[in-house]
Amino acid sequence: MTDNQEQLIKEAVKKALQGDMDAVNNIEDRVTRSKAKAALVKAKREAAKTSAEPSAEEKSEESGSESKPASQSPNQQFAGIIASQFPNTVDEELSSETHIQLRPAKWFDVAQYLRDDPACLFDSLQCITGVDLGEDSGLEVRYNLHSMTHRHAIEIRIACSDKNPKVPSVEAVWRIGDWFERETYDMFGIKFEGHRDLRRILLPDDWEGWPLRKDYEVQETYHGIVVPKVKEGWE
Amino acid sequence: MVLNIGPQHPSTHGVLRLKVVTDGEIVSDIAPVIGYLHRCFEKHCENSTYEQVIPFTDRCDYIASMNNNFGYVVAMEDLMEIKVPERVEYIRVIMAELNRIASHLLALGTYGLDVGAFTPFLYMFRDRERILDIFELTCGARLLYNYMWVGGVSHDLPVGFVETVYNFLDYFEPKVQEYNDILTYNKIFIERTADVGVLLPEVAISFGVSGPNLRGSGVKWDIRKDEPYSIYERFDFDIPIGQGLVGTTGDCWDRFYVRVLEMIESTKILRQALKDIPTNGDVHQALPKKIRPPKGSIYRRTESPRGDLGYYIISDGSPQPYRLKMRSPAFTALSVLNEISRGWMLSDVIAVLGSLDIVLGEIDR
Amino acid sequence: MTVDRLIDWFPISATWPGLTFLLAVLICAVPVFLFIAVYALVVIYGELKISSFMQDKVGPMGQGVGLHAWRWGLLQPVADALKLILKEDIIPASADKKLFILAPFIVFIGAFIAFSALPFSQTLIIADMNIGIFYILAVSSLGVIGLIMAGWSSNNKWSLYGAMRSAAQIISYEIPAALSIIAVIMLTSTMSMQGIIQYQSGLIWGFLPNWLIFNNPFTFVAFFIFFISGVAECNRTPFDIPEAESELVAGAFTEYSGMRYAFFFLSEYANMFVVAGVAATAFLGGWQSPIPGLFNSPAWGLWWFMSKTMFLIFVMIWFRWTFPRLRVDQLMSVCWKGFTPIALVNIFGVGIWYLTLG
Repeated sequence: MTDNQEQLIKEAVKKALQGDMDAVNNIEDRVTRSKAKAALVKAKREAAKTSAEPSAEEKSEESGSESKPASQSPNQQFAGIIASQFPNTVDEELSSETHIQLRPAKWFDVAQYLRDDPACLFDSLQCITGVDLGEDSGLEVRYNLHSMTHRHAIEIRIACSDKNPKVPSVEAVWRIGDWFERETYDMFGIKFEGHRDLRRILLPDDWEGWPLRKDYEVQETYHGIVVPKVKEGWE
Repeated sequence: MVLNIGPQHPSTHGVLRLKVVTDGEIVSDIAPVIGYLHRCFEKHCENSTYEQVIPFTDRCDYIASMNNNFGYVVAMEDLMEIKVPERVEYIRVIMAELNRIASHLLALGTYGLDVGAFTPFLYMFRDRERILDIFELTCGARLLYNYMWVGGVSHDLPVGFVETVYNFLDYFEPKVQEYNDILTYNKIFIERTADVGVLLPEVAISFGVSGPNLRGSGVKWDIRKDEPYSIYERFDFDIPIGQGLVGTTGDCWDRFYVRVLEMIESTKILRQALKDIPTNGDVHQALPKKIRPPKGSIYRRTESPRGDLGYYIISDGSPQPYRLKMRSPAFTALSVLNEISRGWMLSDVIAVLGSLDIVLGEIDR
Repeated sequence: MTVDRLIDWFPISATWPGLTFLLAVLICAVPVFLFIAVYALVVIYGELKISSFMQDKVGPMGQGVGLHAWRWGLLQPVADALKLILKEDIIPASADKKLFILAPFIVFIGAFIAFSALPFSQTLIIADMNIGIFYILAVSSLGVIGLIMAGWSSNNKWSLYGAMRSAAQIISYEIPAALSIIAVIMLTSTMSMQGIIQYQSGLIWGFLPNWLIFNNPFTFVAFFIFFISGVAECNRTPFDIPEAESELVAGAFTEYSGMRYAFFFLSEYANMFVVAGVAATAFLGGWQSPIPGLFNSPAWGLWWFMSKTMFLIFVMIWFRWTFPRLRVDQLMSVCWKGFTPIALVNIFGVGIWYLTLG
């Protein structure tokens, strides 16, 4: 590697770490460009290791000059509001600037509060995603909420166990919860308490198993038809 | 009487089954039964690499494949913090808007067919063919493109592309006037669709309805303007909303008319994009060699012709997504069918279903 | 007239009048049936081609006279007819067999026997009854019974829907049609078809033929009322909700296949011809030529009648591919709140016009 190349790569990586990717992308020579990208990945990994913060609690701690409470992300803001209104619902350790971790117990009341309170006005439930976090961590339900009037958005995560997962249903708060929760039930087996009509939506009613769980084994036959197995690892 | 519409039926847009409880001709309850087209898209994504997911996203909403791709790559590029070259951005916007016009043409044509007007359907398909020819010129495929990749696009624009699209735009803009004359302002069509299936704004937002369905109810919400992605901030275009010109705000006619106006807005965007597109640049410049996004998750929405298309991607640092959820706009649109067509007649159910513009591929994934 | 002439011509008419009558009727019925079959082929081809040109397509191009030089697809309807004849005859297991088999025949009979009073030319009319037009209006309602039988016996909720809608529609639209014809009868003082045509001979204002459509403004309106009611009676778009393809697949005829379906199809086209024929007779002068004095031999009479009827059928085809369809209750309200009052006003108007202006 010539000195010129090294110099070029160093400068491009420095610019990219500050957020400007064009320096890396505009390198003409393909070999140099890929080397620059590899160096960038390495530099980022080093930066993550040395900062040694598990999930970057407050953004103001990293960029020291901008440490004002107003630069809190909406998630942290509303975590604070929810915690003050409904004590013991927000799991402070796991919440971060990207999401709010709630305990399932009072979720329905919190949801109603989020929808109706004039400062929040989260009238739009964008997406409910079910996640299987693996054997030890169990299942999780993630809600993406959005406010049409105030234009802010938050993400709420609620963990539940593997064996008998139960989460309060919010279909009475946001009407689309009806179908989204049926889909999450269909794919993961999470029971939403209070849902009027919890049954499978995408799969036939007599299908066995919860497909999107990581430990799902597809059934051999369905009404006499052989079910083909999903190919693992498509490389 | 409990009637069954579908799954094989000429005017459910895909394999959809509606269990309708009627009292004579008046409908009292509709229960949609979906899942006939479920292809385990999300499970497949967990076993494929990030690049291999892109053809899968094509096949979800097969009428607006470019927009599906667009949503996915925008989400991935946000997650990986990749910035794509200017030329790629312009190409993506051009393709997405052309596909928006094609998708609306199909929606409007099949809606006319449901209501009984056979001829506008064929006129709109004739014009849609010209758009599909443009796509075939570019990437070789007419319907399912696999065109937008994370960090770029698969093929650069061919020689003469800009000319061809300008020709198409000059041909197409007067046609919209023709469609208005033959269908939109036709007295019988207005009688079939005005005041039918009124969707109130609060109901729409609570049900998560978005896109032209929401705009037909008078709510001015378009992700291209309100949460802009790519380079949509540079373009000057309006957001048409329903105003109840021939009936109530939020009826089927409004949703239909919003789509007609959106086609005109798309032509405006196209003209601006064609004028400003950078003439050279390598479209494969920013393609990452190996897609390994950092650990984390992202939820990103883009505007597909049917509404807010959202991708929730959870990455664990490996080349395969840990979880990929596609939030499809037609899913929410179908869920509101029961609410707005209760109390109307059987023919109106067909009219309302057509005005919601659903694609079962997207609903069932 | 033709039946009478045939009876007189038979040498055995004196001794066996019954048998002679039967023979004469059969000899008249067979050409009519053949005419309906050939006419249906022509009209089906016409519909395919006209609809294609209106929709920016080319239509059938394959089979036909001269496979490469003239690719007109003229044998397409023949191929269609053959296909329908050769199809498997499926009767659903839970259908009411007797009614299921009987229904197409009744519908066809309703359309078929109306042909016996249509005046094809001065000398070519099977039976010139003195109640000709009344007879046609009466027998064209027979088809409704067949439709209801078809819908009921199919044991299919969708067919039942289609049959009920269809029955309601046909019965309702009979009223404005009949009322418009009354306006005509008031002027001509005769219900015989030939008599109505005779009344329309001569010129008005020196150059317009004395057809009832030009006679006075009320009969002008009556023509349109009658024609549109006729379109509704044939279950054609914009009134084709009973067989609305996008909603009910094929309405009352969903369960029919093969030749039985062909019969329904045939009777729809026969009905179209009857409606167009009556409109041409009552309002457009029937077999009379537009230039009185010229071209009025019986052969020309046939030509004028056929061309007027075919023009009206072309207009019906045109309607089908241009308009969306009306919903059932809108159909009914157009009939009862729109056409019937106008038709009633027409009757008054014609009477007053006749009395005051002669």
